[in-house]
Amino acid sequence: MDIEQKRKIESIVALVFSTLAAFAGLFWLVFILGDVIVHGIGALKLSLFFNDPVPAGMAGGGLRHAMVGQLMTTFFATLIGVPVGVLGGTFLAEYARRTKYARVISVLADIIVSVPSIVIGTFIYAIMVRPLGHFSGWAGSVALSLIMIPVVLRTTEDMLSMVPWTLREAAFALGAPYYKVIIQVVYRGAATGILTGILLSIARVAGETAPLMFTSFNNNFFSWDMSRPMASLTVTIFQYAMGPYDDWHQQAWAASFVITVFILILTLLGRFVLKWRFKQ
Amino acid sequence: MTLDIEFSVKNLDFFYNGDNHALKDVTLPIHRNQVTALIGPSGCGKTTLLRCFNRMHDLYPRHRYEGEIIFEDRNILADDVDLIKLRSRIGMVFQKPTPFPMSIAENIAYGLRLKGVRNKSELTGRIEQALKNAALWEEVRDKMNANAYDLSGGQQQRLVIARALAVEPEVLLFDEPTSALDPISTAKIEELVVTLKKHITIIIVTHNMQQAARVSDMTGFMYLGELIEFGSTEKIFTAPEKKQTDDYITGRFG
Repeated sequence: MDIEQKRKIESIVALVFSTLAAFAGLFWLVFILGDVIVHGIGALKLSLFFNDPVPAGMAGGGLRHAMVGQLMTTFFATLIGVPVGVLGGTFLAEYARRTKYARVISVLADIIVSVPSIVIGTFIYAIMVRPLGHFSGWAGSVALSLIMIPVVLRTTEDMLSMVPWTLREAAFALGAPYYKVIIQVVYRGAATGILTGILLSIARVAGETAPLMFTSFNNNFFSWDMSRPMASLTVTIFQYAMGPYDDWHQQAWAASFVITVFILILTLLGRFVLKWRFKQ
Repeated sequence: MTLDIEFSVKNLDFFYNGDNHALKDVTLPIHRNQVTALIGPSGCGKTTLLRCFNRMHDLYPRHRYEGEIIFEDRNILADDVDLIKLRSRIGMVFQKPTPFPMSIAENIAYGLRLKGVRNKSELTGRIEQALKNAALWEEVRDKMNANAYDLSGGQQQRLVIARALAVEPEVLLFDEPTSALDPISTAKIEELVVTLKKHITIIIVTHNMQQAARVSDMTGFMYLGELIEFGSTEKIFTAPEKKQTDDYITGRFG
């Protein structure tokens, strides 16, 4: 066997194995998504959006409480996480650029991104839930915002660093103070990238369950009150899927479908914004 | 004819990173309403000198000035100089066009707003005037809200000049403004430079000796951080006193 034949065989073996690996990964992905879509659409009823739960074991009821709770928890998490993340990223990329602090904070943020979310949940439990004496929507939002901050911070830092320095110099040369250079020129240049990062970070926390179980916990009743325990789709899925009632299982499927679609839309929106930017 | 002095550079030394001695004992006058060209091979310090006039080096850590640049009886290298005010009086145009990521009109409005112009009709008027002064108005009058990045490189460079002119500076610094442009755009910019000197003082750094000969009144030849020779452009290009200058302009080195 000459060397060319040997190379051809090696090439075919590599192709076969990498294709198999890709299909193995793809298979489970399609399986999970397909299962959620098939069961979810089957279980989805319009009434789920307008009704609150009925007593356990009875048929009927809905998920309105969990959907509103999920949106509120995520909304306030975004309200806390985005400003802190964007301003922190701005500090790292602009004011602290090329300093040791900036590099250390960047690395720490990367580490926090990979910390299991349940650790964030127990942390907030210890510093917020325990001292206050009860679970609350606020604690849930703070936990989710802690997960968002490092993601938004690092994206912002990277996007701002990509804006060429000559652009800043040009603004300085007109006699602009630094904050106006950042807000009016640098942010404009990096806007779509930062927006994409924000959308993806919302998508990331919208699917979290573990940190919410220690913080906002759950609530079987409809509530606007963020200082009380708050329902969420993810924790409701956990509770209903583990429960003994068939109607709960159906609703858990429907809830899975709704949250999957919600996250899918956010992700697609993020990609769309990014594409639109590079087309410009 | 005696010429007014806009800047008087006296025994200027400049250091990057604490000890990189980039300018050595540079002394020269910059005449008002004249074009002064700085020429010399790469790394000779001409851009470094240019960036001293609007204190651009201050954006980066560990720089050091020694000596003086006198502007209106004051040393603009002093620590207590208001850089924002200084830079709004001394504009700069860079090697690569630097339009901001916004519309043509907004690009020019940016500088005006910095100066506190808020009135809509005044903004519109001054934007139009600036574009006319930069010989760009006819080409963009129908697309003022178009993205500035849609313009050609030469148009972008004139837009940037218009933006700098809009704030009515007394001095404009050009850092190789045509090195990224085609010959036709270059000719337009050169024409503009000659027109602009009626109202403002211009310092231009260029690699292109023909350009220096075409547009400037005074020329300084720099080499290894030193100003080798300074004089009227005509004299520098026809009868230089120093051998190094002669070698450079005749193309024997650099």
